[in-house]
Amino acid sequence: MIRLTSLTKRYGDTVAVDDLDVEIRPGVVTGFLGPNGSGKSTTMRIIMGLDAPTSGSATINGRRYHDLERPLHEVGALLDAKSVHPGRSARNHLRALAASNRIPPRRIDDVLDFAGITSVADKKVGGFSLGMSQRLGIAAAMLGDPGVLLFDEPVNGLDPEGIRWIRELFRSLATEGRTVFVSSHLMSEMALSADEIIVIGRGRLITQGTVGDLTASADGVVTVRAVDADRLANAIEVGGGHVERRNDGTLAVSSLNAEAIGRIALDAGVALSELTPRRASLEEVYMDLTADAVEYSSTAAPHE
Amino acid sequence: MSDRVTLASTTRAEWIKFRSVRSTLTGYLVTVVLTIGLAALITSAIRTHWTSTTELRRITFDPVSSSLGGTLFAQFAVGVIGILFITSEYASGSIRTTFAATPRRGTVMVAKLLVLSATTLVMAEVVVLAAFLLGQRIYQGVVPTASLGDGAVLRAVLLGGVYLTLLAILGFGLGLILRSQSAAISVFTSLLLVLPIIVIILPTSWQNTITKWEPSALGRAMMSPTPALDTFGWATGTLVLCLYVAAVVVTGIVLVNRRDA
Ligand SMILES: Nc1ncnc2c1ncn2[C@@H]1O[C@H](COP(=O)(O)OP(=O)(O)OP(=O)(O)O)[C@@H](O)[C@H]1O
Ligand SMILES: [Mg+2]
Repeated sequence: MIRLTSLTKRYGDTVAVDDLDVEIRPGVVTGFLGPNGSGKSTTMRIIMGLDAPTSGSATINGRRYHDLERPLHEVGALLDAKSVHPGRSARNHLRALAASNRIPPRRIDDVLDFAGITSVADKKVGGFSLGMSQRLGIAAAMLGDPGVLLFDEPVNGLDPEGIRWIRELFRSLATEGRTVFVSSHLMSEMALSADEIIVIGRGRLITQGTVGDLTASADGVVTVRAVDADRLANAIEVGGGHVERRNDGTLAVSSLNAEAIGRIALDAGVALSELTPRRASLEEVYMDLTADAVEYSSTAAPHE
Repeated sequence: MSDRVTLASTTRAEWIKFRSVRSTLTGYLVTVVLTIGLAALITSAIRTHWTSTTELRRITFDPVSSSLGGTLFAQFAVGVIGILFITSEYASGSIRTTFAATPRRGTVMVAKLLVLSATTLVMAEVVVLAAFLLGQRIYQGVVPTASLGDGAVLRAVLLGGVYLTLLAILGFGLGLILRSQSAAISVFTSLLLVLPIIVIILPTSWQNTITKWEPSALGRAMMSPTPALDTFGWATGTLVLCLYVAAVVVTGIVLVNRRDA
């Protein structure tokens, strides 16, 4: 369980994390989504005790990272795959980590095997591809068999086989009752691997919920085609809908459902040739949500 | 036994890290070659020219420090070992993995210092003893020699190893403050090479007072069996250098605890 309480981090004038209040529960995969620069990595560094919050706090199982007696047994993290001395072998990197946290050396072979990098274990990390480095980072995160795992953009550099492997890994780690916190800026990726999603923009919490919640809450867009499009557009706007004209002559109507639009058309005496409701994809929901966040913060409007 | 992360477990981890990169071995090899190789060169040159050396030079001649002249070059090699031991962690970003494993950064730094100073001290003592003995062998029969049986001589030779160790720690401290290999190497070399050159430009009366505070002059004080006129005595010299190094290291540790990693 990870808990962020009024977490705020400023770097000079930049507010990287802005009053974030969330709880990341065990037993599910929690996706951490936000556009570039929205504060995901900063939040993860604060959880790991690497950056100090300007105010607020981040705790793991109720304690600050700094107070963990055997941190690698409680938290495993892959923050930046390339952050290993390039001249050191994968095995020596893991040996040093294991020694610091008194993890039995046999665990090193286990995690190397688990991550599928046994054959390159004695090669220098500097020669690793990004995908191999990611695998080493995952091996390092699993070294202490921790109950809480953090992954910052773990899918970067992995091939399709690796991506499938990592998705299944997240799933099985969560099923074992662990807390799995995974960041990404791609909603499509999270839609496949996460159960719960936390969306941030400019450091602020935008929304939090299950994948189902997010799509259900979004307004769908209804595509309408009519012979007299102008008259229909006016009638819909009078009726409280929002109309956008597409180049192909159709109208994209939001804020009204298909039934309401059909009724308006009937009342206005306009014949419809198409009336197609469409639920927004998760990707669109996400784009909408984060676009709003950018607007809010650029006008510095207070936002709860 | 407790399974907590402690100074002991962190020191084991740092020892593995220290040994498992090539730059450490290269640095020590350069130290060996410079110290022993230059001892051979310098002492052979002195032996060759001994008959034509002036009486004054002969009276002030010191067979100990002349055989340890290589340390004034080897100090850069050990300094770079110390610098790289910390700046390579910042360059690669592995410092974050290190601090995730041992969140108490002071513990990490003390562990690193233990590994660095123990290894450097053992290596440097062996090397200065070898350089000294080789030098005396080359002098034998022509140039006056010194013997380790003389307490002051033994002290001067052993302090040569201590000097190199302190400079390795100084490099580490500068690396910790600056977090950049190139910046730390520049400052380190400036302290040892450029500072003395700047001092030469100053008026003579100032020179005499300032020169003896320079790190390299402190090294000369430490490696001289008899007190020289232009340096501190060995005890004061060692103390002053220790204070410099402690100030740099403590500043580094205070900063690392305050800064984001
Ligand atoms: N050490 C730092 N010093 C100054 N500014 C920083 C620092 N780290 C992050 N920032 C700023 O804080 C903001 C959040 O950055 P962060 O890296 O946390 O975003 P992110 O969500 O991880 O982005 P990405 O998807 O690109 O990885 C950005 O504006 C970034 O420029
Ligand atoms: Mg990031």
